[in-house]
Amino acid sequence: MSADRQPSMPQHATPGVAGAVWHSLVWLVLGNTMGVMIAILLLLPGLNPWLGEWTYGRWMMVHMNIALYGWCSLPMLGFLFKVYGADRGSFSNWCRPVLWLWSGALVAGSISWLSGQSSGKLFLDWSGFARVFFPVVMEALWLLLIVAFISKPQGDPDSTLVTRIAKMVGLIILAAVPLAIYFASSSSVYPALNPDTGGPTAASQLESSLGVVLILLILPFGITRRTQSLSKAVTLSWIVFLAEAGLCVALGRTDVSHHRPAQYLSLASLLVWIPLIPAYCAAFRWHAATRGWRIAMFWWWGGLVVSGWVLFLPGVLDRIKFTDVLVGHSIVAVAGFLTALLIFVMIQLMGEEDAWIFNRRWSFHAWNLGVLAYVVIISIAGWIEGANPAFTIVPGPAREFLYIVRLLTGVAMLAGSLEWLTAASSLPALERHVEVELQGVNVA
Amino acid sequence: MIDRRGSSGWRGVALVAVTYVYFLIFAQFAFLSRLAELNLGGASLKIVLAAMAAGGVIFSLLAPRVDFIPSPTHRLRIAFAACAVGALLCLLPLGIVADLGLSFLIGAALGVLTVTLVTHLREWMGDRNPLLNVGLGTGIGYFVCNIPHLFAATPQDQAIIAASLCLVGIALASTPSESSPTRVPTESSQFSFLRALATFAALVWLDSAAFFIIQHSPALKAGTWQGSAHLWTNASLHLIAAIGAAWLLQHRRSGLVLSPAFAALGFACFLLRNPALALPASLFYPVGVSLYSVALVAYPSFLTSATTTRERGIQAGWIYAGAGWMGSALGIGMGQNLGHVPTLFVVVAGSVVLIPAFLQLSQSRTREIIALSISFTVASVIYCLLPARSETPALSEIERGRRVYIGEGCIHCHSQYVRPNSPDVLMWGPVQDLQQVHAQQPPLIGNRRQGPDLTQVGTRRSPLWLRAHLIDPPEISGGSIMPSFAFLFGDQRGDDLVAYLASLHSGDTQQQFAMEQEWQPAASALAHADLEEGGIIYQHQCDTCHDANGRARLQYLSQFKQPPANLVIGPFQYLPSAASSADRTAQFSRISKFGIHGTDMAGHEYLSDQQIASLTLFLMKQSSTAVHHP
Repeated sequence: MSADRQPSMPQHATPGVAGAVWHSLVWLVLGNTMGVMIAILLLLPGLNPWLGEWTYGRWMMVHMNIALYGWCSLPMLGFLFKVYGADRGSFSNWCRPVLWLWSGALVAGSISWLSGQSSGKLFLDWSGFARVFFPVVMEALWLLLIVAFISKPQGDPDSTLVTRIAKMVGLIILAAVPLAIYFASSSSVYPALNPDTGGPTAASQLESSLGVVLILLILPFGITRRTQSLSKAVTLSWIVFLAEAGLCVALGRTDVSHHRPAQYLSLASLLVWIPLIPAYCAAFRWHAATRGWRIAMFWWWGGLVVSGWVLFLPGVLDRIKFTDVLVGHSIVAVAGFLTALLIFVMIQLMGEEDAWIFNRRWSFHAWNLGVLAYVVIISIAGWIEGANPAFTIVPGPAREFLYIVRLLTGVAMLAGSLEWLTAASSLPALERHVEVELQGVNVA
Repeated sequence: MIDRRGSSGWRGVALVAVTYVYFLIFAQFAFLSRLAELNLGGASLKIVLAAMAAGGVIFSLLAPRVDFIPSPTHRLRIAFAACAVGALLCLLPLGIVADLGLSFLIGAALGVLTVTLVTHLREWMGDRNPLLNVGLGTGIGYFVCNIPHLFAATPQDQAIIAASLCLVGIALASTPSESSPTRVPTESSQFSFLRALATFAALVWLDSAAFFIIQHSPALKAGTWQGSAHLWTNASLHLIAAIGAAWLLQHRRSGLVLSPAFAALGFACFLLRNPALALPASLFYPVGVSLYSVALVAYPSFLTSATTTRERGIQAGWIYAGAGWMGSALGIGMGQNLGHVPTLFVVVAGSVVLIPAFLQLSQSRTREIIALSISFTVASVIYCLLPARSETPALSEIERGRRVYIGEGCIHCHSQYVRPNSPDVLMWGPVQDLQQVHAQQPPLIGNRRQGPDLTQVGTRRSPLWLRAHLIDPPEISGGSIMPSFAFLFGDQRGDDLVAYLASLHSGDTQQQFAMEQEWQPAASALAHADLEEGGIIYQHQCDTCHDANGRARLQYLSQFKQPPANLVIGPFQYLPSAASSADRTAQFSRISKFGIHGTDMAGHEYLSDQQIASLTLFLMKQSSTAVHHP
């Protein structure tokens, strides 16, 4: 691992970044609270009548979508504010309205999900008015970014021609995202299927995984700088990425079974990223305070890639499809890897002075050990269920026991996230009328 | 021990809690029950209650002006003593005149107690987290009142407990320290006295109306306040909401306390109009009440802009007399005369609470409001102009049902995909053609099975079974964790959903039926069949239809295509009497697992061979008994 210091970074979070952190954590806590509630409902179904028409299924939609579009997305706003300089200068006051807009869209979405509106698509569940409102909000974000980008002074030492071109390309891509979200939410668009499971093909999984890899490869350029020494890992990573992208194109988008060797062998190509991602990250400078979460991210990343491949293998996937094992895998992805990545990025964005909100020992362990225990427990339940569906459909004492332990791990995660939110609420940059001296610019 | 600067403020917490318990469990509850026991009703009851309100109003206003008892401790002790006397006197079989006097005494004592307490609360709350202490005291007060043993106690017991707590209050009200000004984060400039008065009046009015309506509607009372589970839930919600409110006040977020308090109370009032929605109303009501109750104590104690103790006391007097006693009387009057809270009143109350909050918010969040307004307007215009919206053709029953299926999030528990060459085929088959899957918009494959796959559920289940199961899942499928969707049958949605589910069948069903006919449990399962296990499965899965007094049997008897066989006396139409024991075993097993197609008899496809074998053994035993004892 390379040097952990980056003296030029601001020590405190800017109001834009602090706001993104706070909004993210609000949605994380809400999502976790709903997760705990849902886990209780699975153990005590007699409580369902208390919810009236807001039944389990509707809450599941809210739970999943606010995790995806709240917790997992809002830190990206902080990242974009930082990259495009929107959190500094004359337009920084518009970061907070954009964050409120994003949260407003999630509120609109939550109302629509709770009132029984859904697209029927698990991860693109925008329908009715919310399906229009959310892309409009994304356009508002884009507007702020482009205004901030255009208004950046020409003499800015960080603003080389290459970076300006890269940011321009980024803006062009971002401009297409709202429309992509709108059309992908349509009921007539659906990806290729694995005919033996009804799930995604290896090509689809490779494609989405490479999307994540691409984000990991791009992220450092926006928030930190390279180390002095040249790193072969960076070059190698981009070459491997391009090769795998080619493989992805070659696999095509047809309905193909996971029993085909070409499918599971091509998915195995992702295993190379287990050592490559840490090596790639080592070529950049990071705040020392990011270390804990960065290492956690690498561990979760390794677990995610390995389990993703193993669970796709013939014989394994045939047993665990539609069971809790895949729930466990998605928890590794979102609560394990993605959360560690997001916190690592948020610490980097905030600076060392504010890193303490994520770095207290007990909440770090409550979260990571909670997720690990959750995954183990739910995987055991799913593995049994794979051979005996009645294990879940007609719950007995063994399933109840596992689900009680699962609930406790959820409570641990909720407690950890609550501490982060409580701490983040006291970030100096969130105080009204506070003046933050930042890089010579007086930001009200 | 005197609470000094740096102390925890436990006395203040206890004093607030005691006061709330007395007010809630005695003045609002036990005293009214006691009057009912004494056969006081109609106009007499109204006069007695008016006397309490008069005592409350007069002495709330007088309390800060009483100069001949300068010590707040003494005033508080006298008020507690008067409250205790009032509670004990109500145990006597008093006449209407005495009740009138007693009611006035209780109101007067409460007026002095509450105003004196909040005026000087700073002296008892310590200086560490005084607002959190206010929340804790309020939350504990509500929590205690909702403890089932106390809540369901007789009025006499409740009065004695209230009087005893007043004695505790007398002991707790020690002389406060004069040199311990409490520092709290105030936002007095953002929360004026007049706004506080109007806001609290609106909230107390709503609360009292809802309280009265619940208390006098058996259906609502059953749905909100009866049973230990309800009460413990209410208690917990009160406590959590109170602490949450205090935390928000501590962080200068009074707007985030009173606006949500109105939202929760207003929504509860709206839900209370339909007794079927009493359960969700019971979740919002305590949250709304606790949120504003904390502010009702915290405002005159800590958040007012008043600079002197006397000024604070006068403001507290006006708030408790005007908003508290008068708002309460008006709310009860509304409940008595209308039996519900009119929507227009909720709107007016909402305006009183929310407009000042919005104006305040607009000053500090101008950009957010502008951005939200513009984005909302733009999205609304685009939404209205979308061609797909205006050209939606009329949907069939099945298409509407599919929308209900999607909207209820059924895909989070049920898949619609039969995996070829897997155990799925026998359980949920036949396999659906992949082109058919893609043709659905969107495919509803799902990713999790908390319940059975539904690809071919229309083949395996009759519309009657589907309807009965949606209404009461655990009754029809023993041990089912699925929530009831009975509410869908209050309108068209339930029938649409049943139509959609019944339409889910495709593929070669004859081949599927042939496969089912060839199936029998594994020999090892039959060898290890357990009669006791079979009996338990029968009780869970079968007796609701097959027992002579089964609930589903009695409820749907006239709607079955064929009445379910009584498994003790028969007749067994689908079980040839001349068949060998092995054939009967096989047939019982097949019926148990796959049901009887074309009837309302559903299968239990997800049960293991071992479970089916045990159930079959039990059924064989039952039916053999029938042969010997017709």
